[in-house]
Amino acid sequence: MLILIAEDDELILRTVEHKLVKEGHEVVLTRNGQEAIEKIEESDFDLIVTDIMMPFASGIEILSAIKRHGKKVPVIVLSSMGQEEVVVDAFDLGASDFMVKPFSPNELILRIKRLTNR
Amino acid sequence: MNFHHIVLHELILAIIVVLILVLLLIITVLGYSFYSYRILHNRHTWKQIIEYKIMETIVGSDRNDEQDREFSKHLKEPSFRLLFLEVLVDSGRKFSGAAKKAINRLFYDFKLEDEAWRKLRQRKAYLVAGGIQELAAMNVEAAIPEIKAKLDDDRAAVYQEAQYAMVSFQGYEGLEFLAHFDKPLSDWQQLRLLSSIHHIPELSDVQVYSWLKSSNDSVVIFTLRLIRKFRLMTFYPAIYALLDHLATAVRVQAIRTMQAIENSATIGQFITCFDQQPIEVQLEILKSMKLARSKESEEFLKEQLLNHPKVSIKILAAEVLVVLDGGQYLREISQKEDTYDELIQIIKHALQEKKC
Repeated sequence: MLILIAEDDELILRTVEHKLVKEGHEVVLTRNGQEAIEKIEESDFDLIVTDIMMPFASGIEILSAIKRHGKKVPVIVLSSMGQEEVVVDAFDLGASDFMVKPFSPNELILRIKRLTNR
Repeated sequence: MNFHHIVLHELILAIIVVLILVLLLIITVLGYSFYSYRILHNRHTWKQIIEYKIMETIVGSDRNDEQDREFSKHLKEPSFRLLFLEVLVDSGRKFSGAAKKAINRLFYDFKLEDEAWRKLRQRKAYLVAGGIQELAAMNVEAAIPEIKAKLDDDRAAVYQEAQYAMVSFQGYEGLEFLAHFDKPLSDWQQLRLLSSIHHIPELSDVQVYSWLKSSNDSVVIFTLRLIRKFRLMTFYPAIYALLDHLATAVRVQAIRTMQAIENSATIGQFITCFDQQPIEVQLEILKSMKLARSKESEEFLKEQLLNHPKVSIKILAAEVLVVLDGGQYLREISQKEDTYDELIQIIKHALQEKKC
């Protein structure tokens, strides 16, 4: 499965990447929202994990871009405490699930499995 | 001739001395810049090494002996250990569950506890606060007595961090300090403490009542926020009594709390006390009526719209009437011949707000 991770925190990015690779997924990494949008336009991902707050474009803008391009891909949003309102916006734009930081990478893997029925 | 020769000689000597001094200054500046660059560079490289180690521990990757040796070598550097501790605490805020446990394990495996204890016993406030933060983040319960003693420290950075640590360790019980706390509890600190309390024990009534009676206004405000967060209905009468409190900020919070745990008497009580309240509290009452959306307040709002001397109250009263489906009434008022211009503008503004 091809998974895009958009996250500007290097430790979270690398940890999630290693967990997913260990699970046998192919992973594409981006550290900013604009780059994530470009990659979404170029490739067809099976799942996207995105942070809300990122440089150049937010997770919300990524969700808008997915909707604009008519792509049907499950998206898991990572948000921080106090971003509840943004999470509501994310669901309105088609997010499939969300996790609040601090989060458990193991739980993220379980949610990915549930979303992709693997 | 001889005199000129001496002067010239001294002048040349002086120029040489100045040049040497300038050269020394340049060397010092260059040396310092290089040193700063090295520190920055080291910090960046070290941070990458540390984050890789943390990631490896969380993910449970196969051990690489070469990297382990390299890591152990760095661990002998005191500044590397301090950075390791800093990054570890920061990482602890990003993960939960097994990942957080793995981070805690690193803290103990590499004996970083010693660094945190050392910081706690330093003199400088920022170092002590850092030590408290690190010991609390890594859940070192043995540090509780020493951190508790810091609650009485005079320096804000220290006692604030100690308060937060006590609540992180003990939850609600960590709020004991409120009973004798006489300094202002900042809004930010109140929010931090509130976010760390996840439940209130059943036998907390006596304590909460005593905080509501505190002579420290910020403690009363914090308690009201706590009551709001956990919807503690039993305190409603005590909160109503706070509408006579000397501090306006306390009264404003009391109104918000009454609204959050409202009962069938709340709107009536708001209406009864309205005239005795300062303008800030009156505005808060109207905001609470907007949230409550109770038809019981309709006549009262019409009265305020037509007769209150303050424009801000009239504006808010009109806005609440719009929320209560009083748009038709407002349009009728604005079309009356004897309605003055200011009121027409207020009504137009309120109706416009609704459209937006």
